[in-house]
Amino acid sequence: MRAVVKNGIGVFSPQGFLDGNSSGAFLSIEDIEATLKLKNVNMILVSLKKVIFFNRNGLDTFVKMLTKVRTEKQITVGFCDYDYKKYEAIQKFYKDEFTFSLFATREIATLFATNYNKTPKNVLLYSEDKSQRSAMAIELHDNGHNPVVAQSEKDFNEKKANGKFDVIINNTYLGQMGQNVATRVTGNAIIYTLNSFLDAEIGHTFNIAYHNNSLNVGFRLFIFDAYKVISMNVHALNFFSKLSSAAAEYNATICFVGMNFNKTPISFKETMEDAGILFYDQMDDILGNKELLQELGAGTSVNTKNKRGLTKAIVSELPNFIEATVATLEMMTNAKAKKTAAEIHSLNIEHQEQKIASSIGYYGDLDGMIILVFPKNIAKKACELLIGEKTDDEELILDTLAELVNIVGGKIKTLLLDEGHHVNITLPRTYEGIDELLEVVNDKKGVQVDLTFENDEFLFFLTR
Amino acid sequence: MVTKKEIGEYIYKIPPASDALQQTLQFLNEGELTKAAQVAKEELALKAYLVNLVNKPIYGLKHQVDDISQIFGILGVSGAQQVVYHYMVSLLSPKEWKCFNLNETSFNSLQAELSAGWMDILQHLKIKNKEVESTIALLPASIIVAEALFRDKKQDVELLRENAEIDLNTILQRLCGMDLFDISAQIAQKWNMSTTIGALLLASSGSKKSSNEKVNLLSKWMHLLLFFTLSKPLYIQAGLNDFIEFNIEYVEDIYEDFQQVMDIS
Repeated sequence: MRAVVKNGIGVFSPQGFLDGNSSGAFLSIEDIEATLKLKNVNMILVSLKKVIFFNRNGLDTFVKMLTKVRTEKQITVGFCDYDYKKYEAIQKFYKDEFTFSLFATREIATLFATNYNKTPKNVLLYSEDKSQRSAMAIELHDNGHNPVVAQSEKDFNEKKANGKFDVIINNTYLGQMGQNVATRVTGNAIIYTLNSFLDAEIGHTFNIAYHNNSLNVGFRLFIFDAYKVISMNVHALNFFSKLSSAAAEYNATICFVGMNFNKTPISFKETMEDAGILFYDQMDDILGNKELLQELGAGTSVNTKNKRGLTKAIVSELPNFIEATVATLEMMTNAKAKKTAAEIHSLNIEHQEQKIASSIGYYGDLDGMIILVFPKNIAKKACELLIGEKTDDEELILDTLAELVNIVGGKIKTLLLDEGHHVNITLPRTYEGIDELLEVVNDKKGVQVDLTFENDEFLFFLTR
Repeated sequence: MVTKKEIGEYIYKIPPASDALQQTLQFLNEGELTKAAQVAKEELALKAYLVNLVNKPIYGLKHQVDDISQIFGILGVSGAQQVVYHYMVSLLSPKEWKCFNLNETSFNSLQAELSAGWMDILQHLKIKNKEVESTIALLPASIIVAEALFRDKKQDVELLRENAEIDLNTILQRLCGMDLFDISAQIAQKWNMSTTIGALLLASSGSKKSSNEKVNLLSKWMHLLLFFTLSKPLYIQAGLNDFIEFNIEYVEDIYEDFQQVMDIS
């Protein structure tokens, strides 16, 4: 079975009846590992939304697999999308042996996922277990939300009736959360979440290839969410100092937020500041200040270092890149594409108004960046299949466009693998306007392919 | 990915029922079991299919039965009509499956399991109606249609489904305005099957209620039976469990009865 991956959460959705015979057929360790390899996933859940019957044997098979994955990969695992009856049954089956988390809905799980990239939510939460209430409140707060904790069921019902909350959390249980350095994207800033003690292990838990490619794709602001860091040793200090020096070559900024130096020598802070790292007390000090965001590079993404040329290997794979893009767009629009021109030059976009763009980076045996520029009407049409209806909601279209570009990236990955090239893809990035895109591309040369879909122009640009 | 034109061409290419099949069904319709068996015997592929199907353990026959007259005698008029329809549907199945991990044997097993489950349900509901009994034969047609339309697009579909929770039925509905069950109902129409079969088939998708409450009630049982069967390891591994969306809300009110009939605990 394949998982649907969104916001860094991989969700498997079995349907029907789960028992000891069927659950092993629904999900395997290989399925989970394939999902983890696929994208930047740090939570694996099994949805019970479409499960009408389950028993202990059926869940046990899943729990064993999920626990193994959590131990090995340090990610959050559990179940989601259940009603009270199902929640009660799971509680009864496992009592005090919970090695996994329970999220009543996928939306609730998203609030606890470190890849979450939306606006802060006002959250009402209640659990009979006092320690669970506190644990959830801390996690939510750390993820930038505003939790209101109900102290009793009566209090919960009253607050629920009177208050205006974006999300209400009940029947949810937090098991052990992941320990890897998790990544999320907020606007054009990348936020990494750090935990507990930082030592030489950071070299393993931090995905440096992903970071480097985010620089290549044009991200210029990297924020380390360090609220939960207890202390740091000299190995970690060296790691971050080097990271900051490397980022400076791209004109990128590294910030630490919420780091306290009670158990870390204050001289480390000075060393890090010397390396160009900035410190802030609150995440909102940066994310809530648009001017500062611009100044730190989240708005302007001028690429000063990365002006690498296309390689022969990339050019020879160009047909695969184009095929993947065209096939995906044709699939999503049910329209045929025609290639009208293909040339090597800087990105040249005519009629820039009414166009939106997205990009995705790939790295591994080959590396580079693919940029797709859409007239808004093609973007809307292409997203209709995923959304299920026509929409003019720009934010929804941009979000869906990111999913679409993910599909293109996945297809490219498969086609390149057929040719023996192993690559991974970065998180997709979208651009509301062309100016923003041109700042990222910064006159870099690449292959530009102009295509038409039922007389609408569409542009593909491949660069490094 | 899939266009209306392709769907039209697919339906157009579906062959009409052969003369022998039409005659067999005609005699069954008139209650002439012996005459129907005589005609069926001449259609060798049908004979082989029926022998293979009814001797599966799920039919519960104590001894191997090879004679068509005997088979029809055991099944009765409505049971015989149902297995003839099963045969017609199986004629549409591909020699080699690509989209789903199925083969002739596993597909026939699916037909047999659905059939046996449906008969138990109808017995519980005290319904004796040969059209209603036969509708179950058309239910797996939706799987064959999905295979035909998506067999060369497997990778694309997988990529799409990694990024969005979307089943094959919904993909088709959003792209072409018609789904797998609409197409199956059109096949039933092409084979001159009754309108009851078409209506029940459409409602059994769980997403298209009928205006007839009796049809809706039966379709709930059929929808639940389909997912009960598709939750078995053989069919999960075949990739059938999520080819369409299971509508839990639709079947909630009959679930307890279903548990009793199927002895689920």
